[in-house]
Amino acid sequence: MMKKFWKKSTMSILSLGLAASVLAACGDKEETGNAEEFKGKITIWDGPRWADEDENKFHWMEEKIKEYEAKHDGIKIDLVQVPWAEMGDKLGVSITGKAWPDIAPVDISGSSVNIDHIEQGVIESLDPFFDKEAKKDFYDNALEAYTHDGKLYGIPSSITLHTMLLNLDLFKEAGVEPPKDGKWTYDEFLDTAEKLTFDRDDDGKTDVYGFSTYIMPGYYEAWPFFYKNGGSPLNEDMTEFTFDSPETVQAIQDLADLKLKHKVAPETHGGNDVGGTFQSWANEEQRTVAMQPWATWAIGAAQSTYPTNFMVAEYPSGDSDKPVTIGGVGGWIMMHQKDVNKKAAVADFMKYISSAEEQYTMSQNYGVFPARISAADMEPFKENPEMARAMEMSDQVVMLPRHTEWRKIDEAIQNELQLVFNGEKTAEQAMADAKKAVDKILE
Amino acid sequence: MPASLLGGVQMTQMPIGAVPKKEEEKLKVMKRPNKNIIKDMKKNYSAYLFLLPKLILFTLFIAIPVVWAFFISFQKYKIFGSEFVGLDNYIEVFQSDAFRIALKNTLLFTIVTVPFGVISALVLASLIFELGKISQTLFRSAFYLPTVTSMVIIAMVWRWMYNYDFGLFNYVLGWFGAGPINWLGQSSTALWALIIMQCLIPFGVGIILYLASMGAISQSLYEAARMDGAGKFKQWLYITIPQLKPTTLYLVLLSTIGSFQVFTQIIMMTGGGPGNATETLVHLIYKTGFRDFEFGLAGAQSVVLFVIILIFSVIQFRVLRHDE
Repeated sequence: MMKKFWKKSTMSILSLGLAASVLAACGDKEETGNAEEFKGKITIWDGPRWADEDENKFHWMEEKIKEYEAKHDGIKIDLVQVPWAEMGDKLGVSITGKAWPDIAPVDISGSSVNIDHIEQGVIESLDPFFDKEAKKDFYDNALEAYTHDGKLYGIPSSITLHTMLLNLDLFKEAGVEPPKDGKWTYDEFLDTAEKLTFDRDDDGKTDVYGFSTYIMPGYYEAWPFFYKNGGSPLNEDMTEFTFDSPETVQAIQDLADLKLKHKVAPETHGGNDVGGTFQSWANEEQRTVAMQPWATWAIGAAQSTYPTNFMVAEYPSGDSDKPVTIGGVGGWIMMHQKDVNKKAAVADFMKYISSAEEQYTMSQNYGVFPARISAADMEPFKENPEMARAMEMSDQVVMLPRHTEWRKIDEAIQNELQLVFNGEKTAEQAMADAKKAVDKILE
Repeated sequence: MPASLLGGVQMTQMPIGAVPKKEEEKLKVMKRPNKNIIKDMKKNYSAYLFLLPKLILFTLFIAIPVVWAFFISFQKYKIFGSEFVGLDNYIEVFQSDAFRIALKNTLLFTIVTVPFGVISALVLASLIFELGKISQTLFRSAFYLPTVTSMVIIAMVWRWMYNYDFGLFNYVLGWFGAGPINWLGQSSTALWALIIMQCLIPFGVGIILYLASMGAISQSLYEAARMDGAGKFKQWLYITIPQLKPTTLYLVLLSTIGSFQVFTQIIMMTGGGPGNATETLVHLIYKTGFRDFEFGLAGAQSVVLFVIILIFSVIQFRVLRHDE
């Protein structure tokens, strides 16, 4: 299933990319250096991952560094621990000050590093270190996310997607059956949300709501709902704003109406409180919402930090009859290097922490899917049915447009979406206004 | 209040570090820079040595970044090799809807919070000044506490107080059968929620400075007023407030500059939303620079903000000092 999806949607693009890469390699031979000759310091940034028995969330990286240093005399690797919430800002500042680390964990389509940085030479191409054979082990879309102008600019290490998480305790309390196999239409979803909205203590106030999510630039939990009728934010060649199409406007209004019209979502639905939204679904003392969409990291959180009786479901399908979800790819990038031998050593360590075994370990512990086919073949979710179910949804993934100005476009859209969800604008008005802003950016 | 009562006490009404005009003239003559700066540095080398660490830090972290921001405001900034674009960035600033909205929000924030902050500091300082020594110390410390507390922590606490489901404000409103209000989630209330928060955080520096200045007001003025039959309120109105004018000027300037630079509350509580309802100038500059990596444009926005603050400061300085 995984293979099918990651190959399906971008095979043609990738073929072109690889062809361009081969041509580029013929005329532009890059120096590869010799890793063995490098003696010195490599700096890597990483965010907290899963905790060990001492609650140390950096233990995995610390172990890998220790192992690598033991095998490579004269190489010292410094780990800089950066909270994920600050990673983007700190990396941005470090790039501006030309004081970047050698290796950083980055979703290249995210907010901290973008295609513009590739074009400016801030990020090193990894093509000299990954031949065609080495690339074969990665899912096509994962590679494509780190490929620009036919060159590879990062090692994909994980794949994420968004799913619907259903709190089964609240389903049971309301006497509602969850969707069979986690598949449903939007009408069935709305019907379920209505049944899950109830007054627990008969005081005339709603205590539990069927659904809620939040709207913020850079966050896409709600977006698969906007795609449900077949819409997308930009046209294929990314020259035109298309979220104002009737089908998308209807999809946006549908989701806002869960609060505004059907009253099955709390007042905070569509707000900007990420932590509060999650707590209202997962925290045992605050559970007031039965269904929420989250990225797959939340599955891990609901299995450990916030033990929850839950199931994974697909996003409801709309007029297009196909459920859709938004995916993302995480990985390691190498920042600009002056010393070719150091460049080779940095690439070697990046490969070391991105091996099939490491991706398998990461998948088992960190709520992500492996980007390597061989790691997926090791069945990391054999004993984790929720993650296994989420992985099945990988063939429903659509990727966000890879436009150089995506962050601005995203903010223009999300700002207007917030106004729809708090009832200040209709979806039609908001997307008409978003179009004006986005058209200026696309000019 | 007779003007004669106010004469001869100039030294005592000044904030710390301020000097009266006549003394200032003398000092100007005394402290006129030596034409031979090298000679002067040799003569007063110990003073220069003491100033050096601060001067180095100021140069590194204030002077160079300010000059650099001005410099890159004329460039399309790139990591390797920027290009000169003349006034393009400034033209973009003035044509930008986002900048116009941020300026409007920042102005509203400043116009409401600065007078409220300064007046409330004056009133609180006046009330504290009348207390005994122990009570004064207690209240002085209590009101100064927010100044030494991180705005991040304060913002987190206020975010909870504004929480729709569990927040203190909606809980209290519930007693009166009102609310709940989605304070930070609606365009109509979000900016005002931030303004209310700013107004209700005691202006600690203002209170401390006012208390210091009140202690320096000559008691003879109050004695004369009492002999003329003036009550407590009239003494406050006609002696205390006028005597505190230089301190007020300083605080108005200080808090205006601070309000124009409001940032932490925005990024912690609303992110500039919903929509652009709480977008402010410094938050916009931050986004332009560190999210969009358009440092040239962010530099131009910063220079424009600097000019706006400068204009406001000059106006305030002139208005508040015009009778001296």
